[in-house]
Amino acid sequence: MEVLGDLAGGFATALHPINLAMLFIAVVLGLVIGVLPGLGGTSGVAILLPITVFIAHGSLPGSDTTTAIIFLAGIYWGALFGGVITSILFNIPGEPWAVVLLFDGFPLAKHLHKPGLALASSFVSSFLGALTSTILFTFFALPIALKALDFGPAELFAVFVLSFATLIGLGAEAPMKSLAMLALGLLLAAVGFDTITGEQRLNFGQIPLLSGISFVPVTIGLFGIGEILASAEEQGIGYVEKISARLGLGDVFEAIRELRKRLRLVLSNAIIGFFFGVLPGHGATAASFLGYGLARQYSSNKENFGKGEISGIMGPQSAADSAGVASLVPMITLGIPGSPTSAVIMAGLFIWGLQPGPVLFIQHPDFVWGLIASIYLGHLLTFIICLLAVPLLAMIMRVPYAIITPFIVVISIIGSYSLNNSMLDVFITVIFGVIGYWLRKMKYPLAPLVVALVLGDSTERELRKALIAGHGSPLYFFNSGLSTVLILVALVLVLIPLVRTIRRRRAAAAAAGSPAHP
Amino acid sequence: MLIAAVAMFDSRAAFNPSAGTSPGDVGARWYPFWAATIMGIAALVVAYRSLAIPQTAAGVFEGRKSIFAVLKLALPMVVYALLIGGIGWRTTDFTYTVIPPFGFYLATALYMGVFAWWLGRYKIWWVALISVAFPLVIFAAFEIGFRVSLPKSFLYTSGILPF
Repeated sequence: MEVLGDLAGGFATALHPINLAMLFIAVVLGLVIGVLPGLGGTSGVAILLPITVFIAHGSLPGSDTTTAIIFLAGIYWGALFGGVITSILFNIPGEPWAVVLLFDGFPLAKHLHKPGLALASSFVSSFLGALTSTILFTFFALPIALKALDFGPAELFAVFVLSFATLIGLGAEAPMKSLAMLALGLLLAAVGFDTITGEQRLNFGQIPLLSGISFVPVTIGLFGIGEILASAEEQGIGYVEKISARLGLGDVFEAIRELRKRLRLVLSNAIIGFFFGVLPGHGATAASFLGYGLARQYSSNKENFGKGEISGIMGPQSAADSAGVASLVPMITLGIPGSPTSAVIMAGLFIWGLQPGPVLFIQHPDFVWGLIASIYLGHLLTFIICLLAVPLLAMIMRVPYAIITPFIVVISIIGSYSLNNSMLDVFITVIFGVIGYWLRKMKYPLAPLVVALVLGDSTERELRKALIAGHGSPLYFFNSGLSTVLILVALVLVLIPLVRTIRRRRAAAAAAGSPAHP
Repeated sequence: MLIAAVAMFDSRAAFNPSAGTSPGDVGARWYPFWAATIMGIAALVVAYRSLAIPQTAAGVFEGRKSIFAVLKLALPMVVYALLIGGIGWRTTDFTYTVIPPFGFYLATALYMGVFAWWLGRYKIWWVALISVAFPLVIFAAFEIGFRVSLPKSFLYTSGILPF
């Protein structure tokens, strides 16, 4: 059991005082971010990303890149837990993946007067889901990474294409919109010097654009500022219904008893969530809806759903947390982010000077295993904090809009400026904030844009390496079995929505055919 | 609502396929050209669909109030970003300044103060407290704690303020 030895080493790293302290701070920050409705996990991670650069380079005594990744990932874990608190207590989702909790979490808290039980059930199932996923992570990561070490440019390019295809084929939004966003991301990534020949392109003669459009200001804009603008619109509409937030030990025991009755549901949802999270581009939000559907499908008392059924809390929560953890797996092992948040974390790795992907396991084993161990610790910490501090966390909702909103803008601007000391980045953030708001409004998915932006350069590099190796012949991609299969699967995924549309058209035409339609 | 989407896309699509050498050669321009082409095609399909499917009369925004809510947030943000760096331009022998650079800290004080006063409708001493306290805390955390240098104001260059 070599894995257990590595994991033990990882725990030694993660339990280092500075790492533990930063994990604690990160988890608390993540919970706060999760509770704030105007600020999501992805935005939180993006806004705080620049700070991690200073952590990674040793601004704090004893800190290094491992501390930085533990910090960044910890925010994500906190946000995964924290988003549900406002869903259950105030009927306002703090995070996109907490929307499902409105269906059953809020009714249980309000109509059945059991807010403590609702919160506790959500926390225990989140914890169990995340734990299952982390165990799978521990045992799957190394084999995947070792296999990926043999990949040549053709296989790598095929993997990138596959991940783009899942974004288009399995995305919730219109596939054409996903495709447009994807291409826009690739295009933005291409600005500046060409990676192979060093030629200038798309800079329109502007020298500052030569270094390319950097990922961080764009993401802070798209997510941080964009989300703030979107939530500004809802101001005045929102009416906060308050339920007192008390969580006693009795609630926790009752939740555990309820959990035992639903152990099969929670565990199977966690495993499904894991595999769902590994697929690029989805992450926790889609998994939570899937988990809710499954919980309802296999429940013996379907009519209770929507009225405060505990399965309707536990099912989606375990799937969501599991998927959140799992979205880091392809990022660490293959260098392909599984969700927008892990795309941002991956950008962090680049900035700290690490190359995500299989080589990471060999060159920086302490980094990888420290991260994995910190996932266990992070969830344990989050769980404990949640049980103890729910009333405090609920109080964050009372911080007035006129203070918290400009403060988030200020922090975003510090973040985008401090990375390169560049005012241009500040303006990029502001501009992309407006664009991000507009794209949200028009229902364009942001995930493909972010994933393509972070993968753009590597995709192009592998593509052209493969073409150079194959003397310009695209048949090179079909030389190896693996890349052929991957590209075919990608093609099928892209074609799924097309087939679906055609079928729907046919059905609609058949339906419209019988009654006279002008 | 979707006409706006079309306009957005048209301008973007026109902006993109700026550089396309022949696709057979693997040159620097090949890849962005095709990325732009794919985007252009996808945009056209979206545009076609939005025009082909009849729209409901309702606009993008739910009434005027929400537009103002967004603008109230967006405009000060732009002004804030401009204040930090200042507005001006330089020729070989002169520097023209429209707005002197306020630097990060003074701009933040103004920005947070305006928000608290205008949107929060706080009493004036609360406004003053907020606009003094936040920049000072940030100064302590970043300039001293993390040793990050944020943009300084015109008063810093003349030595009146430490930021």
